This record gives sequence, structure tokens and C-alpha cells, in this order.
Amino acid sequence: MSLPGLELTQPSEERQHVIAPPSQITLNSGSEWRFEVAFGHTIRVKLLTGTAELFGTELAESQTYTFTGTKAAIFTWHGCELEISAGEPSSTTTVDGSTSAAGHGAGGCQSEYTSDDTPMMEYANMHFALEAIREEAASEGKDGPRVLLLGPDNAGKTSLAKILTSYATKLGGQPLVVNLDPTEGMLNVPGTLSATVFRTMLDVENGWGSSPMSGPSPVPVKLPLVYSYPLPSPLEGEGSVYRPIVSRLALQVTERMAKDEDVRKTGIIVDAPGDLSSGKPGSLEMINHIVTEFAITNIVVLGSERLYSNMVKSYDNKPSSSAAAVVFDERVSVVKLSKSGGCVDRDALFLKKTRESQIRSYFFGNTLPTTTLPTSTSAITLSPSTLQVDFASLTVYNYTVVSTEDEDEDDYDPSQLNTGDSFLPGGNDNYSDVKQETDRAAPLPGIVGLSSDHTTNANSYSSSNVPLKRVLPPAPSALENTLIAITHASTSASPADVRDASIKGFLYVANVDADKGKIMLLSPIRGTIPAQAMIWARRWPDEVVGLVG
Amino acid sequence: MSNPVSDEVAEDYKSSLEDLTNNDRFQISNLTVIAKENTEHAEAISKVLEDHIRATPPPQKLPALYVVDSIVKNVGTPYTLFLGRKMYQTFINAYTLVDPQTRRKLDEMLKTWKEPVPGSLDKRPVFPPHITRDIENALIKARTAFLHSQRQRGQPEINRARGSVTPTGWTNSPTPPTMPRPNQPYANNGQGIPSTGTPPHGHRPDAELASLHRDLEALIASARNDFGNNPFNQTIQQRLKSLLDLQGIMQRQQLSPEERKLVRDQLASLTTPQPGPSAAPVPTPTPPPQPPAQSLPSILNSETIAELLKATGVNQTPAAPIPPQMPNLLPQMPQMPSASSTPQPAESPLIAALRMRGLLPPASAPPMMGSNATPPPASLPFLIPGQLRSTPPVPTPQASTPVGHSSTVPMTTTSMKIPRMGLVVSLYEAKSNRCGTCGRRFPATDEGREKKARHLDWHFKTNQRMVEATKRAQTRSWYVDEGDWVQSREADDDQGTADTEANAEGAAGADNNGSKQSPPKQWIRAPNDAMLRNTPCPICQEKFESTWSEEVQDWIWQDAVTVTGRVYHASCYDEVTKDGPAPRGFTPQARTGTPDSVLGKRKAEGIESPGQKVRIKTEP
Repeated sequence: MSLPGLELTQPSEERQHVIAPPSQITLNSGSEWRFEVAFGHTIRVKLLTGTAELFGTELAESQTYTFTGTKAAIFTWHGCELEISAGEPSSTTTVDGSTSAAGHGAGGCQSEYTSDDTPMMEYANMHFALEAIREEAASEGKDGPRVLLLGPDNAGKTSLAKILTSYATKLGGQPLVVNLDPTEGMLNVPGTLSATVFRTMLDVENGWGSSPMSGPSPVPVKLPLVYSYPLPSPLEGEGSVYRPIVSRLALQVTERMAKDEDVRKTGIIVDAPGDLSSGKPGSLEMINHIVTEFAITNIVVLGSERLYSNMVKSYDNKPSSSAAAVVFDERVSVVKLSKSGGCVDRDALFLKKTRESQIRSYFFGNTLPTTTLPTSTSAITLSPSTLQVDFASLTVYNYTVVSTEDEDEDDYDPSQLNTGDSFLPGGNDNYSDVKQETDRAAPLPGIVGLSSDHTTNANSYSSSNVPLKRVLPPAPSALENTLIAITHASTSASPADVRDASIKGFLYVANVDADKGKIMLLSPIRGTIPAQAMIWARRWPDEVVGLVG
Repeated sequence: MSNPVSDEVAEDYKSSLEDLTNNDRFQISNLTVIAKENTEHAEAISKVLEDHIRATPPPQKLPALYVVDSIVKNVGTPYTLFLGRKMYQTFINAYTLVDPQTRRKLDEMLKTWKEPVPGSLDKRPVFPPHITRDIENALIKARTAFLHSQRQRGQPEINRARGSVTPTGWTNSPTPPTMPRPNQPYANNGQGIPSTGTPPHGHRPDAELASLHRDLEALIASARNDFGNNPFNQTIQQRLKSLLDLQGIMQRQQLSPEERKLVRDQLASLTTPQPGPSAAPVPTPTPPPQPPAQSLPSILNSETIAELLKATGVNQTPAAPIPPQMPNLLPQMPQMPSASSTPQPAESPLIAALRMRGLLPPASAPPMMGSNATPPPASLPFLIPGQLRSTPPVPTPQASTPVGHSSTVPMTTTSMKIPRMGLVVSLYEAKSNRCGTCGRRFPATDEGREKKARHLDWHFKTNQRMVEATKRAQTRSWYVDEGDWVQSREADDDQGTADTEANAEGAAGADNNGSKQSPPKQWIRAPNDAMLRNTPCPICQEKFESTWSEEVQDWIWQDAVTVTGRVYHASCYDEVTKDGPAPRGFTPQARTGTPDSVLGKRKAEGIESPGQKVRIKTEP
């Protein structure tokens, strides 16, 4: 059993924190305050007068909002005054052991400044243009617009998606937002593709908000439909995994559209992964797949001239792929929007911590340090439970797509050196995923394991070519600190069904006891683990050390 | 089934335990005394303790374990035996989930368990050595494993503390002196739980606050009463809404003394004219007004005051008569574009007075872009999307803004660059009625006001439930599957669940409505009051069982029905009254003692109720 964090940090280490006095910031109309708060530090923002919005979601006057680990901007259409103060230092120390979280900006932001050069008018126009299409569609009985947001990483796609969603809900619409970016989770952990209908406000402090919990939530919860895609890029394995999941998701979205009048009128907003805009081979084909599957009518390109001209060439004024396109002469339009000057590159460490905090809040809720902050609107502590199970009792699958660029990184795992993997004869079969074999092969029951390996491989390859293989006991030590997605598929489902199944939730492997064949799991809900097929998120999201602790 | 007396004791003990949210010596010793006096029910109590420690949220595990510590040290034998059985699981489970500081506390406590009770003649350790040894071994093993893996990874140490800070100070005695636990992540929405973290303003703010809450509660109760008697009276309805609004604000926000005083003044003025059976205690006379320390228009935003005032204005005869149209105007005033920042002359004396004291912002709107062409409020409803959508795309005649209607925005890259501030009006000014809690906007129409009232109700209820919910461990729910997701409809927070208790439950329940509905859903929300909760069905004398309903987002009693103020099992009630329609006011005869026949009573298992489709879990 591993209970990391024991006795190793003492609160005495906590630095004397210099708390900056609250500072006031006056924003002129049409300008925004951009701020970056590091993980491990919190700031509080209060709207004193005027109106202000964060990515389209309006701040209430005199309420205190708490932020940590955020890079965001508060915009005002009418001018406003904000009060910024430092929050309690949270007890989460940073990965490299330093607590240099607080910066020198107001309230201890790492960086903060105001700018009056924002593309908000463009973004708002985008919304109004969409509203116009919605009206027209409603009067003609067509479906609402289906918008695809494209652009490289850090161009502000997700922020624009939030703004469009927020504005649409503000006017009473119910947009269906589809997140196809596996590097960022929407309402859940990374490594997922999901779809959610938004009717109520987004959460100012918490990005998109929260998925349902057993108890009440101060901001209404949102109900996502989630698929597991435990790989960082949509192009892994030439899209052989991503493509069918997108199709499956699009099918459900279309069905929901057909049955839910409010959603049908408002339409879809698809947030695409930045990887598709980087010009890698296969990305245009994948964009085409998304455009076709979701019958996209409006393509919005952020911050990439080349992609824009590409898109105009391929799609502008072409009929959309919806069934009704012929009847209504529905055509695709391609629009380019400016990238906000406020977009900052999020470095790898920041992104990693964002992912970690998403995973943490999936299990433990949103535990912003609210010690002295009775007005914080969204702190809820969840109580997951730990339990030990026989690994053999679980049906766990693993994707065996190998991408060359990740291989080195994967191979280096010092904790495996002890298990003697490296001494095993490697060339025991000639499938491409040698990596997987070494993982699975543990010192003990060599012969049995190998023979059954062959049969599974044969099955999965002959049946459907789905690169999904059952992970057989003994439990690989690499399971430790990773997530396992529980699907809605039964344990006897075929690999293709497992891949296409939406998921129920996640388990976190706290510890692997290879000798006894037991693993210690963190489960969001008390009780037995559902007997369903599971997908090991082995490669993505990357491991989170010491979640239980 | 075990001994019913034991069950009762256990139930009582459980509810007392649930109230133990921080490290309160008094409560802990109280719980110890109860345990001591009920040694014959030691098994049941031990079970309750174990269950509670397992189910309670991490920050509340430590106090609960301190109860265990106190009991085994002060009472001893039967408990040591029963609690020892599962101590390993209980301890390790709690240890795994708490933060490092709490873990140190647990370590210290564990250490004392290996020694004899201080001052006792018995030289045996508190718990038999084999129990403590097992726990210690597990911890040591875990620690070494962790260190080991750390070394191997060559990574710096990572502390995954869960963002909470436990009290520091006491180190030797595991059952510590009374010490408010500064870390109460739940207190933020707590009903009148003052934050210990903020320095106290003035004198006895807590008592003052508590009395405020009491007064408010009494007022609300009486207002509810009135509302029940006159459901169609607008005035009473408004008044109730305002009060609920005020209470919501008070529960969410830290009130400074000035603000408290203001609230109290308000309450005082509301209490006095109440001729009805209001049991509200008259608040103490207010101290002389003092200027507010800094800008505090926050808490009672102008709308709240205006609404409150509206209610008062109609209910009582004010010294200076308000023009009849005034109440309707007031809520809109802050948003009305006004050239000067001076208050409107027609303002009511109270608003004016508040403004003079700086508690209300001046009656000017925030500076508006889009210039003076902003349409007057009367024309704003044209921009409301609901109507926009249903009307054919004919340009709104009154749209006096330069660009006008949204249908004029073509979807082209160049068009995106053209500033259209006039359209932003539809996001802001068109909905001038703003929720003070979450910033959501509502149109300043009757419909909008109604929606906002329901929305505020929603906030109020949610806050109430959040306070309740801190007593239980909350968990993330599983995601729904494809079929359920396609069928699901988003629930809104402006659809009242209050008045429609037993039937439609917002949009979430809508999918149930389509299916066969022959047996009506018979359920009610489980009452919050402990008294009521423990009151059995008058017919069968059995208690009600609370189950959690996903759809209602609340604890409910299945198969329950309220008849003339008492709660019955619906099946029992049907049984008794089935021979003919009960005359009005008829109350079924209560059976005493044991039910006549075991077969006579059927719980309606198959009855359709919310949450049936989703997961129902029984209250722990």
C-alpha cells in the first residue's frame, strides 16, 4: 500500500506569505484585465461597480470569485472596477518543491495587466451572426448552426467556445458543446471526448462547471456524455482510434438534436484539438471527417492564415453534409477571427498541472482553499473511497497504438527496472507492440501468460483490427498512478464495442501489489466497482503521482 | 433485525454524530457520556461510529475518531472490543483520505493507543497490541514504499495535500481542548455559521447574527403562512420572495456590523406592521446610525432593498405616502439611463435614507456604451430572444440603435470586424434584472421577474441543501450512458420545484411523464427537521426511510403522502381509506404497538418515483 506524502512535508515549511493589500483596477469600456495565477496561489476578484464577464460569463456584483492555476481575462463592455486581493496560500506545493507561486502582480498574480485591444467585438459579432442564423433556421424549420472552431494550440479556441456558449445560454439557447480535444477535458478529466448541452450559466471560477454529484451544487451541474480517448493526439495510429469515436459521438449528438427541440434550434459548437491545425499529415482528412460527421455549417479559424485559406478552398460555400442541405440549400461558411493578444502559451508544466487538477477535482471536488472565504461560490468536497480488488476480476483493455515520438518517453520508467522486465526474452512474438508485451509480462507465470497472449492477439486482430487488447493478470506495475475508464460496455463486449462505448467514470490506481495480484483503487463512489469493460488510460492523461494523499 | 431499542439509540447517536463537524471538546465528551450510559447498546453505537467515520467527509473524520478515542479511554471494555474488530479498516480508510496534518494527529492518537490509559490502574494498553501493531505495520510499509518509489523516480518530493489546513497547537493529548477548527470548507454556505477566520467586527457578532437569522426565520415562517392562506395575494408573495432573497444573501455573505444593522432595521420595520399570528421576536432597538466604514453597497443591492421596500410599502402605511406606481418603477431604477447622478426625486424615503448613508449606490446607471441612443426600457422586450424568435424577422421598429437587429450581421470575416455595440444591449441592458448571487440576468418584464423569483428560490433551496449535504459524504456520480443522455433534457434553475413538489420535477423528470404513469408518484421530500424525520407513520408506526433521488437532487421519502399535516405511508393510507373516500378532515386511526398483521402492510415497491430510473442509494 502506498500512502504518499506521509510525514514528508511539514506545515512548518510553509513560507511566510507576504499578502499584498487588495488593489483596485479600473477598466474602461471595451478593455480587459488579463491575469495569470500560478497553481498553489489563489487570488480573489470582486466586481465593485459596472459589468464584467469572464469568457462571456458575467460576474455578479460584490461576489468574491477565487482563482487558482488560471490564465484568463476579465472583460468589460461597459467599464468596471475590480478589487483584487490575494487568497490563502494553498497547501499544494509545486512539483519542483518550490512555493514561489505568488508573483508580483496585484493580489500575487504572476502577471497581470489591462489591455484595450481585444477581439471581443469580433467574438460578439460571431455570436450575433450565429443568432441571426438561429432565427432564420427557426423560421424555416432548419437545424441551428453547427460551428467548428479550429486553430493551433493556445489560440483561444476553448475560450471562444465558452464565450459563444455563454452568450447563447444568456439569450435562452441551449447549445450542444462538443469537446474533441483529448488534451483538455470538458467537465471531466483529459483523455476524453465529450458532448454536453448547456442551459445554465458556466462557472466563473471553474471553467465549464461540474458534472453531477450526489449532492447539490451552487452552480447547476451539467450532464456530459463521455468517451474515453486515452491518447494525447487525435492523429495517433493515423486516427484509427479517434475517427470511429468521433463518428459514434456525432451519432449520439445528432440523435439528441433530433429529439431535443431546444438543442436543435441552438445548434452545436465543436471545439477541435489544436493538433489538427498544425499541418501534420492526416490532419486535413480528420478535419474533413469532423465536418462531415457533425454536418458542420460554420467553420471558424482562429490565428492561422494558412489553415484559413485551406478551409476556404475546401469548404467555403460548399453544401453542408447534413441531410437537409439539399432542401434548404445549406452551405458551409468559413470565417477567420483574430487571435486575442491575451492568449499566452501555456507551458508543458502548466498544462500538466491543469490536467492534474482536473483529475483531482473529478475525485475530490473543487477544493479551493476557502478557509476564510465564506462567499466562495463553488467549493464542494467530494469523498471518494479506496478499495482493494483482485486485478484478475477486472476486464481492462489497453490501446496498443504506438507512436514513434512517444516511445522513448514511455520506455523510461525507472520503477519498472526492478520488476525484471528487461531480462525477459523480448522477441516472443512479432506484433508491433513489443512495448505492451513487456509491460504485461511480469516475472511469474511466463508460459501461461504468453500462450493466452497469442489467442487474444489473434482474436482482436482477426475480428476488427481494433488496437485494443485485454490486459491480463498479473497487474502491470505501470498501472500505478494512472486512470482507468469504466465503460458502459459489458465485460464480454468485443474490442470495437468497448472502444465505442461511452464511459461511466474513472478509477485511479493508487497502488499495484503484483505479488498478490491486487490493486488499490480510488473510486469516486463508495461500493463495488461496476462489472464492466474498462479502458486503461495508460498513455494519457499522464500519471498523477500521489493523488491519494 | 436487531433489538429495536438499540436501533433507536443508534439513530439518536448517529444524528448527534452528524452534528459534530469540528473538534469540539464539549460535544465529544457529551458523546462519550452518552456512550457510557448506553453500554448495553455498545455494539450498535460502535457500528454507528464506524459507519460515520467511513461516510463523513475527510475534514470531519478527525473529530469522529476523537470520539472513538475518548470512548475507548473513558469507557473502555465493551467498546474496545467492538470497535477493535474493524479498527484497522476504519483507521486506514480515514488515514488514506485526510491531509498530512490530520495524519500527524492520527499518528499521535495511535501512539497513545499503545499505552495504558493515563492514570488508570489497568496497565494494559488502550487497544490490544495486535490491533495497533497491524495498523502501524501498514503505515510503515506505506511510508517505505513511498520513499522507495520517490528515490527510484529521482523526483523531488511532492506533497498532495488537499488544500486544507488543520488546527495546530495541541500535540500531546489526542482528545484536544476546545478549539475551533479553522478549516471549514463547508462553512461558506453554512446557515449562519460565522467564519472563524475573519476577525470579529464589533461585539458578539455571532450572537447578533444568530438572532438576526432567528428573526428572519420567524418572519419567513409567518410570511409562508400568509402565503398559504392567500396564495394569490401578490403582496404577500412579493414579501416572501424578498425575505427569502434576504436570507439567501445573509447565508452566503459575511455581513459587516453596518450591514447587519441595516438588515435588522429592515426586519424591525417588517415585523412591526405584521398583525397576524407572527411569533417573531421584536428585535432589540438599534444603536444610533454610524457611517459605514467603506463602500458597502454590496450586500443589499438596490434590487433587494427595492423589493423589500415594495413589500413594506404596500403592507404598512408609510409616513410619506409613496405614489402608487412607485413600487413598479423602483426595481428598474438603477438600470435606467440617467443623465445626472443625483437620486430621482420621487424616491421613497427609505431608499433615500439608505443612499445617504452610502449603503446604496447612487441612482445612476453604469456608463453605457452605444451612446444616448439606448432604447428606453419600454422597447427593450423586443430584443428578448424568445419573442425575437417567434416573430418573423421583421426589423424591430423601435430599435433605435445604429445597427439594429442581429439579423443584419452577415457571417463573413469582414463583417466580424465592424463594431456593433448596439447589439451588446441584448446581452446586458435588455435584461436589466440581475441576480445578486450569480450574475444571471432576467428581463424587466413580469415574466422575467417571475423567473427571477423562481431562480432565487432555487439559490435558496440549493444553499439549504448544501448545508444539509455537508453532513453526508458527497461523491461524484457516474456519467450517464448514451440512451439516457439522448433522452435527458437540461434542467434550469428558474423552474420552481417548490410549488410543484409532488408532480413535475423540472425538465429532468420530463422523460418520466411520457411513460406509463398509472400509479402516481407518491413521495415527498424528507423533512429537514430531526423531530419530523423521526416521527413514524401514524398507521403502521414505522419510520420513513430516506432515499436520495438524483432527479430531485434531494433526500426523499418514497411511498409517503402528507394528509392534513401528517405524513403517512401512501400504501398504509390507501389501505385505511380504501373502503370509501375519506370525509374531509378525516384522520385515520393510529394503530398502536405492533402492526396487526405483517401481511396487512405492503410497501408500494413498484410505484414510480423520481430517481427510480437513475440510481437510488439508501441513506447511510
